[in-house]
Amino acid sequence: MAYKVKLDVFEGPFDLLVYLIENAEMNIYDIPVAEITRQYIQYIEDMKRADVAVAGEFMVLAASLIEMKSKMLLPRSSPDDLAGEAEDPRSQLVQKLLEYKKCKAQARFLWECEERAVLRFTKPREDLSVYTKEPDEILNMDLAQFIQAFCAFLEKKQRVEEVERRYAQTQRRRISLETRVEQIKKRMEGTESLRFRDLLEENYGAENVVLTFLSILELVRQKYVDVNQRVNFGEITLTVTGSGGKDEESMQEGAVQ
Amino acid sequence: MSSQQERKSVLESLMFVWGDPLSAKEAAEVLNIAPKEAYTCFKELQQEYLERGCGIQIREINKKFQFCTKAENSSYIERFCTPVKEKRLSQSAMEVLAIIAYKQPVTRGEIESVRGIRCERVIEGLQKKGLIQEVGRSAAIGRPILYGTTDVFLQHFDLESIQDLPEIEDIEAVIQLEGDADQPAFQQISIDLEQK
Repeated sequence: MAYKVKLDVFEGPFDLLVYLIENAEMNIYDIPVAEITRQYIQYIEDMKRADVAVAGEFMVLAASLIEMKSKMLLPRSSPDDLAGEAEDPRSQLVQKLLEYKKCKAQARFLWECEERAVLRFTKPREDLSVYTKEPDEILNMDLAQFIQAFCAFLEKKQRVEEVERRYAQTQRRRISLETRVEQIKKRMEGTESLRFRDLLEENYGAENVVLTFLSILELVRQKYVDVNQRVNFGEITLTVTGSGGKDEESMQEGAVQ
Repeated sequence: MSSQQERKSVLESLMFVWGDPLSAKEAAEVLNIAPKEAYTCFKELQQEYLERGCGIQIREINKKFQFCTKAENSSYIERFCTPVKEKRLSQSAMEVLAIIAYKQPVTRGEIESVRGIRCERVIEGLQKKGLIQEVGRSAAIGRPILYGTTDVFLQHFDLESIQDLPEIEDIEAVIQLEGDADQPAFQQISIDLEQK
């Protein structure tokens, strides 16, 4: 990040040149090129010394000033030139400078206008929606826009449902192993045997499967159920032992009593 | 809607509600009269407000009309509510704007050749302010963008139309304006030199 420092307000090479010409009280139609070039280059050197990045455009004008001077020094070769029809090498520059001066005068005129304009105040445009009984947006809507809006609504609904589904899952994840064990025990009341699959609800997630499986292992440990799987990846069948688990339970109950 | 007086009163109400500059054409459609008639009505209204010396005046911006406060009252308004002053345009912005205003439609290249320096940023800034806009493409190589001024420009400078800009063609007058013109003799001689 470099600081942008503007030393003198010259809005470009022409601005500087016009300033120099006026400052030296030179005649714009008969510019002493050598002198003005010297001053111009001097100024650029000053800018450099002040560590101001000199814009390329300033250099371009310096170069064309020097070119102009060289042209003026050259002897006029063709007979046409001798007849005095040769264009003064400076005339192009003069034209440009005049054009630039004109632009400055115009800018000053605009500036004066601006001075006057700030004295007048206007009201910002009113909010007319208060006066219109029906909102324009609905009236202006065509079928395609309406369909688009409806599709957008459906899409949003779908997204909300998706979010809700995920949210419900996180709820289930919070169920502890103990709770799940109790749930399964309750589920198996009055039944001899059950398939593992039956224990899972409709849209189960991997979490739920793992939790249920761990619960079954816990039940096996408590000798509440026996577990059978005939083949790899086959159906897992749970059978209530009807002994260990209940005994343990009653023992616990007894202890409480 | 028959009498001129009634029409004018309608236009007055429309202007009041609209706030923004109201074009004579649109107002004419509401009244179902010719745009030219509406324009005349607006002009008459404007004159009436001026003659009465009201605190509210009507100003014209490119055939559009808008209520505004009387310039002479600005100091009181400022004392009352200190409105936020818009930041004035910089010298470079003003120069570029002047070139565009006077030469429109104009390409960036033409603007830069007058000023002798690049003005991409300035043009961008003016465009952002809504003072200038792209008005087409030049037929020249590369089909450069042509720039022109907008109604916002007229509004900003309190001009009725782009014809309001004074012609600064007279180069001698420019020199008079620019310098102190205290060397008329030199000038005379030099013109001779150039014409040689």
